[in-house]
Amino acid sequence: MMSFRPLSNLRSGMLQRPTGSGVPASRRLLSFGLLLLSLALIGSAFATTADSPEEGGQAANEEGLHKGDSQECMRCHWMETMAYRDRETGKIVNLSIDTKAYSHSVHAELACGDCHDRGYSRYPHRTSSSDENLHCVECHEDREDDGAPNLIGLKHEYDKSVHVTEDVEEFSCFSCHNPHKFQPARSGETIADVVAQTNDTCLDCHTDLLTPVPKGHDWLPKPQAHWSSVRCLDCHTPLEGRIPERPSHDVLAAEESNQLCVECHSKGSTLLSQLYNFRAEQERERTGFFSQAIYNDAYIVGMTRNPWMDRIGLAVIVLMILGVAAHGIGRYLTHRKRETSS
Amino acid sequence: MTVLYLYPIWLRLWHWVNALIFVTLLLTGVSMHFSLHWLIPFDVAVPIHNTAGILLTLSWVVFVAGNLLGENSKHYRINLRTLPRDLIAQTRYYLYGIFVGAPHPFHVSSEQKLNALQTLSYVGVMYGLMPVLILSGWSFLFSPSLPDTLFGIGTIWIIAMVHLVVAWMLALFLIVHMYIITTGEKPTTNLKAMVTGWHKEETSG
Repeated sequence: MMSFRPLSNLRSGMLQRPTGSGVPASRRLLSFGLLLLSLALIGSAFATTADSPEEGGQAANEEGLHKGDSQECMRCHWMETMAYRDRETGKIVNLSIDTKAYSHSVHAELACGDCHDRGYSRYPHRTSSSDENLHCVECHEDREDDGAPNLIGLKHEYDKSVHVTEDVEEFSCFSCHNPHKFQPARSGETIADVVAQTNDTCLDCHTDLLTPVPKGHDWLPKPQAHWSSVRCLDCHTPLEGRIPERPSHDVLAAEESNQLCVECHSKGSTLLSQLYNFRAEQERERTGFFSQAIYNDAYIVGMTRNPWMDRIGLAVIVLMILGVAAHGIGRYLTHRKRETSS
Repeated sequence: MTVLYLYPIWLRLWHWVNALIFVTLLLTGVSMHFSLHWLIPFDVAVPIHNTAGILLTLSWVVFVAGNLLGENSKHYRINLRTLPRDLIAQTRYYLYGIFVGAPHPFHVSSEQKLNALQTLSYVGVMYGLMPVLILSGWSFLFSPSLPDTLFGIGTIWIIAMVHLVVAWMLALFLIVHMYIITTGEKPTTNLKAMVTGWHKEETSG
C-alpha cells in the first residue's frame, strides 16, 4: 500500500529522485482530481488533516530527508542507536530520526537544514549546537505561504496554560510534540487510538497518574473507562471557545478543570462534540454512509437525558399501565358479575 | 357468525415485522437512554438501535407503499362529518358501556375495520409520529452534518428531545394498543385476526 523508499535508499546510498515522468499525464490529472474531490469532502475546516500518508510519503521522496544536506545528516541519524549520554544529567539523549515516521509527519517536506540551520558543520557536533533557538510559532508564520498553519492562536492559548503559568521547568512545544513525528489524527484511526495517543503525551510526564485510581481522579466513576474514550484535554481545557479541528492548548490546572458530569453526559455534550463529531465525519469518509451511520460513536450515555422529561415520561407510562390494568380488572369483574346474575 | 378476511398476508407480515423492530428499538433505546447495562450493554445497544432504526424506515416505506398501491388505505380515511359523534360514542363505550355490557358502537366490516378512535390514532402514529421519529433518528445518525445551533439552542439537543418525546408517545401508544386489542368480542378476537387474517365474531352486527 505504502512504500518507504527513503529508508532503503538512504542506507544503500543509491538515491533516485522520482520525477513522475513515467506517470501518464492523464493519470496524474485523475489523481489530482481525486485529491481535490477528497479535499472538498473533508471540508475546508479540516484542511490541516488533508495530508494523507501517501502525500506525506510522496513529498518525502521528492524533498524532505533527500533535500539539500539532509542526506549527509541521515547518514548517521537514521541509526536507531544514535545517542549520547548527557554529561550533566547523565541521561541518554536519543538523536535517532525515525525516517518512516518523519516521512509521514507534517514536516516531511522539510530538509534538516530548514530548521537546524547553524552549528552542525563539525563532527561530532559541538554540545552548544543543541542550544539553537527553534521557534515553532515564528517559523510557521514565516512559512505561511508554503502552507504552514498559523500557530499564533494556539500560542495565546498555550501562554494561559498551566504549563506556562506554573513555570514548569524547560517546558516548550517539544515537551509534548515531536516535530520529527508529529501528524494530526488520520481518518484511518479509531477514536480509541486517537485518545490513547493523545493521552500518552500527557502520561509521558504525568507518570504519577499511572495508577488504577489516579491521583485527583477519585471523584470520577470508572476512571479507566473514561481514559480510554476521552482525551485528558477534553476535561482539562476550557469549555469556551472550542473549535472542532483541534483541542485547545490552554491546559487547565486540576482545580479549574471540568468536573461536571453533565457537560458530557447531557445536552450538547460540549466536551465531547469536538472529538466525536470530528471523528464521525472522518469515519464516514472511510467506511461509507451506512456503516458509519450504524457504527457512529456520536451517542453518549445521558446525552438525551433531561430529568423533567424523564420524570414526566415515566409518570405518564406508569399511570397508563395502571389505568389499563384498572380498566381490565374492572372489565373482568363486571363481566363476571353479569355472568353470575344472568 | 361473521367471518371477514380483513388482514392480507403482506399487512400481517408487515405488522409483526414492524412490531419486532419497534420493540427492539424500544428496548435498546431505553437501555441507551437510562444506561441500563444489565438490559443490553451500551456498545451492543447502539449499533442494534441504529440498524433497527434504518429497518424501521424501510418498514414505514413498505407500509405507505402498500397503502398507496392496495386497498388498505380506505381504512385510514377520516370521515370528518361523523368523527365527533363516533369519537364520543367510542370513548363513552370504553369508559362506561364496556363495563355494563352495552353493545359495541362500532361494527367491523370489510369496508371499515377500524373504529373512529383507532383510525385517528393509527393515522396519527403512522403519518404523524413515525415520520418525526424516523427523521429525528436519522438526524442523530448524521449529527456531525447538522448545524451546531438552531434558534440559539444546540441542534443535537433539540433533535434528542423531539426523538425522546415522540418515543415516549409511541411507547404509550404500544401500551394502549396492546390493551385495546383485548376489547374485541373476546379478549383474543383481534389478536387472532392479526395472525390469521380472518376476523371472526359470534354475533353479527
